[in-house]
Amino acid sequence: MSAERIYRLLLRAYPPAFRAEYGREMVLVFRDQCRDGDTRTVGFWARVVWDIARSAPALRAEATRTVEVIMKLAAIFTVLLAVLALLGAGAEWVAGSKQGMGGPYMLSLLLAAFAFAVLLGAAVAILRRRQQAARLALIASFAMFLAARLLFPWMGIFVQLVGFGLPVALLIALYWPRKASTLGAA
Amino acid sequence: MSRSPQKPPSPESFLPVPPATFHILLALADGELHGYAIMQDVAQRSDGAVRLGPGTLYGALKRLLAARLVEESGERAPPERDDERRRYYRLTSLGVAVARAEARRLDTIVRAARRKRLIGERPA
Repeated sequence: MSAERIYRLLLRAYPPAFRAEYGREMVLVFRDQCRDGDTRTVGFWARVVWDIARSAPALRAEATRTVEVIMKLAAIFTVLLAVLALLGAGAEWVAGSKQGMGGPYMLSLLLAAFAFAVLLGAAVAILRRRQQAARLALIASFAMFLAARLLFPWMGIFVQLVGFGLPVALLIALYWPRKASTLGAA
Repeated sequence: MSRSPQKPPSPESFLPVPPATFHILLALADGELHGYAIMQDVAQRSDGAVRLGPGTLYGALKRLLAARLVEESGERAPPERDDERRRYYRLTSLGVAVARAEARRLDTIVRAARRKRLIGERPA
């Protein structure tokens, strides 16, 4: 098998769009390298493989935009949990009304329900790429849930994880710097 | 309602420039070059210490083109090798400004290292 054929196979490590744009040029450069170097040495092929190993993963990550996919999954997960928490708050409201529970408990329940509804809105905003709206909604959700928790400190652990944990985790993810430089790390 | 034209990014917003990318900007500072000529220029200027492979080179060129620091200046066969046509690249005015800003940044660091006597007054 010729050196150029092996190199063409190795180029499959790069994303298809990158190969379509630069594959031909890369093969021409490789041909030049073969003319000026000795393709029979281990050093030559070690340099070729090292170049692909250090550049292809970064280009693949850029192509699939991994961070955006993770944020999308986190937003979908948040929608599901917020809907579950809202249904739970509704059930608690019905039970509390039947048992004639006191004002602070019902007010806390109402605040928690609002917090989950706003959290749901924040997740939808993330899915629609409205980052600023999502940030504001997450802060509002956290504040409302904190007020609910202060009114009724005996909340369940699952409810607290959703009410406090999700807004904090999503806020960190939204404020986390995406990239040090637009020019990559090469 | 019409949108106002987007403000061009400041050269400082691209700093620090990754080392391999700065070498490419330096190679293109003298004029347009094709891919292999960029690789040769970088290798010669660094006495063989920096050897860009095709993947590193075109990955960096893709980002430089997207950031509008570099532009394609046409496709033709190189004069030294009358074979296949190649794409030529050149710096844009923003690319020149970024290369200058990075050079100034590195110069400040080197002068600080000299003051602390980590390196001599003159390059070895």
